[in-house]
Amino acid sequence: MGRVLLVARLAVRDLRRRPGEAALLLLAIVGTTATLTLGLVLRGLTSDPYQSTREATAGPDVVAVGWPPSADPHAPGGRDPGTLARLEALTDAAGVVGHSGPFPVTAAVIEVRGRRVDAQAMGRDTVPAAVDQPELTRGGWVENGGVVFEAAFAEALGVDVGDAITVNGGSFRVVGVAVTAALAPYPQQTCLTSFCPSDPGGLVWVTRADAQRLATDDEPVMSVLNLKLDDPAAARRFVDTHLDRRFEPGGMSWQDILDHADRRLRHQRRALLIGSWLLAVLAVASVAVLVGGRMADQTRRVGLLKAVGGTPSLAAAVLLVEYAVVALLAAMAGVATGSLTAPLVTDPGAGLVGGMGVPAITASTIGLVTATALGVTVAATLVPAIRASRTSTVLALVDSARPPRRTPWLITLSARLPVPLLLGLRIAARRPRRIVLNTLSIFVTVSGIVAVLGAHINAGQLDLDRPGIERLNQVLLVITITLVALAAVNAIFITWATALDARHSTALARALGATPHEISAGLSTAQVPSALVGAILGIPGGLGLLAAVGAPNPPLWQLLVVVPGTVLTMAALTTIPARQGARRPVAETLQSELI
Amino acid sequence: MRQEVVLAMLAKEPSYGYELRARLREALGPLGDALNAGQVYVTLTRLEKAGLVTSTRAEGLPDRPDRRVYGLTPDGQQRVTRWLGEVSWPKPDLTEFHLKLIAAAAAGLADPLSIVDTQRRELLRRLRDAQRAAMAVPDGADAALLLEGIVLRLQADVRWLEACEKQWTDRRSRP
Amino acid sequence: MSDIADTSTSVLRTRGLCKRYGQGESLVRAVDDVDLDVAAGETVAVMGPSGCGKSTLLHLLGGLDRPSDGEVWLGERRIDQSGEKALARMRRTAVGFVFQAFHLMDELTAVENVELPALLARRSPRAARHRATELLEQVGLADRAGFLPAALSGGQRQRVAVARALSNDPLVVFADEPTGNLDSAATLEVLRLFESLHEAGQTLVVVTHDSRIAATADRLISMRDGAFVDETRLTGGTLRQLGSLAGFEG
Repeated sequence: MGRVLLVARLAVRDLRRRPGEAALLLLAIVGTTATLTLGLVLRGLTSDPYQSTREATAGPDVVAVGWPPSADPHAPGGRDPGTLARLEALTDAAGVVGHSGPFPVTAAVIEVRGRRVDAQAMGRDTVPAAVDQPELTRGGWVENGGVVFEAAFAEALGVDVGDAITVNGGSFRVVGVAVTAALAPYPQQTCLTSFCPSDPGGLVWVTRADAQRLATDDEPVMSVLNLKLDDPAAARRFVDTHLDRRFEPGGMSWQDILDHADRRLRHQRRALLIGSWLLAVLAVASVAVLVGGRMADQTRRVGLLKAVGGTPSLAAAVLLVEYAVVALLAAMAGVATGSLTAPLVTDPGAGLVGGMGVPAITASTIGLVTATALGVTVAATLVPAIRASRTSTVLALVDSARPPRRTPWLITLSARLPVPLLLGLRIAARRPRRIVLNTLSIFVTVSGIVAVLGAHINAGQLDLDRPGIERLNQVLLVITITLVALAAVNAIFITWATALDARHSTALARALGATPHEISAGLSTAQVPSALVGAILGIPGGLGLLAAVGAPNPPLWQLLVVVPGTVLTMAALTTIPARQGARRPVAETLQSELI
Repeated sequence: MRQEVVLAMLAKEPSYGYELRARLREALGPLGDALNAGQVYVTLTRLEKAGLVTSTRAEGLPDRPDRRVYGLTPDGQQRVTRWLGEVSWPKPDLTEFHLKLIAAAAAGLADPLSIVDTQRRELLRRLRDAQRAAMAVPDGADAALLLEGIVLRLQADVRWLEACEKQWTDRRSRP
Repeated sequence: MSDIADTSTSVLRTRGLCKRYGQGESLVRAVDDVDLDVAAGETVAVMGPSGCGKSTLLHLLGGLDRPSDGEVWLGERRIDQSGEKALARMRRTAVGFVFQAFHLMDELTAVENVELPALLARRSPRAARHRATELLEQVGLADRAGFLPAALSGGQRQRVAVARALSNDPLVVFADEPTGNLDSAATLEVLRLFESLHEAGQTLVVVTHDSRIAATADRLISMRDGAFVDETRLTGGTLRQLGSLAGFEG
């Protein structure tokens, strides 16, 4: 017990001593945990309310649509036999235990408060149906001259019970608002009418008589049949066997309807999950850089602990506990951020029972996010922790932490280059691990950016409505900004750590005659090779990601701009820490012991 | 120079007088030049009288001290063994200087600081000469070691003088 | 103030040099109104106890630090007011430094260390390498040219540092406690080197508290509390006097 307390005390004290670094660490991991939380939260966001709606409304397992025969010989199919007959025969098919309808559906144009929108009007009985009886959230069920709006449609238009509207020119009154599981809520409607506009209209219910009255001559009235099966899971098979897929809409299983309802969220979710993986890798790189930057100090502390009787495992434990604490805080912060921002990402969803207002943070979500945060931290700190605990105590105390690496060919090459490049390359070559981390971080970021560019195009091609596309683009933008922000923080921090690590060499170089300008240019330049390689590799990386999810490639000019853009941005970002590093007073750094 | 040094040089085997002197000069390097020739033989005679050394006349050579052959008696051998085991170190004469400073200050005869300064300058001069001598001798030679010893001791003495200077300056600046 | 120095050939000159830290009660005068003239080819040693300001003085003379007051002239140029760029240029053409801690780059070999100032001065790599090899021969380390500092002894490292200081043919070589980290034998190595430089006509300003180095200088200046308090020219004694020190009568 005493040892646990000791480890805890040492870890906390160390964290308190360096709040800035702990904060950076936190930020690095929070980006990952927040996006991961969002992605996970969105997972349950549609299916749970949908199930509730199905139960409340006795939702159908299969919705089938048929059209009446056409007597018009000039119609494209000639005398079209229609599917209505087959539809009615379905009620006797194997596995069917209940049905309601067929109900007529006709296209309608609704005018409310000066706005004209397309809608689909379904004629219903005033008595409740056995299958699919929409549940009223406000007002009452259909009556002649009265219209019941689907809840999401009502919210989108801003209509409420008692409002006066016109439908196909005739005056009607809004008598109720209800939810149903037979169709995806507005604006995800499937098109039931024979003529489908690009934005299928929202659903409204009217009486059978009103529906017939609303029908126009040029549009046949479709019939919708709701079926209940003895095995709901077999709904898709039923649709495949019995319904004609060739003609839109043919028929849908309840799983298809759920998919529709989920469509927009599905894309957002996927974007968020992929984004969170990218951020996780980036976070590992950031944390590794942070940890590496403190490694010299840590090795010495480990040595001290060992020298006073702590075992190597104690020293490693302190290190891991320290960072694990930050990881846990980051997990909490990420979950909080994710749950707070979830409503911004999802729709104001009134179309399902329970809505999508309050996203549920399940125990499994919290568990997964925490595990990710800890995983990131452990991945980044395990190697240094092990190395530190294995170092011989004497070496550690003497603080010969990690002697710089020597790369002979690079040294010879750099001699031929102008002074800033000479200094920059030699400084960079001292710590190859940091170069790798920087390259990795840029690679991940550029892959992300390329993937976002392609996803942006893809968004336009998906079968989503305009608000859905906008929302998806917003999510993509947020992910991009987070990636870039984290990469920028990484770049600045790496430059700062390099400047710190190289302070003796840079002071010496200045004593030997290098100007501060040459030094700061060198410190900046030290990061350019890794930025260049990372950016170049990031393009196939991002394209690979896009190929994996089946999205198109972004245009060539965008790809060509990414590489120089990254390098220039990197150079710009690193200027300030580089300048700082170059302006330290020389005499101080080189001071001999006696004045 | 202590007599035991000459005894020790005979410990390995008997040798001629001139051989002995040559060996001493080689061991002392430039300082060997300052070694008075006669001194060695005077020491040898004293040692013979004390019964620690024997001397015989070599065959066919004139009877001069440097041509005689000298060797150790058993007593002489014992004395050498004992001497090798001693741990005394030549004592520096710090007490005299220290008292000199105090006396000068107390009697107002002279400024202690200027005494210290003069002495220090002198020691630095000697230090420089010792250093020059040390550099003139090849590195591995025995003489180099002796000169290094002189240099280091001079250095230590200079350090002590600097400490004296500091102390006497502080004493003066105190009201 | 020396009346012997011929200021017309002085390579280094200061007047009223001051360096102050802090204010009011906590004011520290690290260097207090120092005048100095160093003639070409001279070896000047500045001695003093810890905290007397000698290292600070050296940094001021070599352009590593800016004085609070006073003038510093190196060659024909006044350097106390110069900007960082000009100082850097000065450091790579007119001045060489030798430090107590050697300050060699750990990841560069001896010859790569020595050629560095030449590369910074934009000499061609081949010329820089050639000069570096020459200098290493001059200090007697030609066979260690490819060694890393970690593989060299203290004395050898300092000799490499001296070679580096000579890389760009400086007007003055400044040495800050050059033997501070060396044992007796290594000190002798460095002393020999300094002596040969002196013979070759190199101007040398050494700051030290080691009397061994100081004793070899042409001029020996004592410093206390930031100011010069004494100056000596040592003229020789004889070997005879050493005999008594060795413990026998000469």
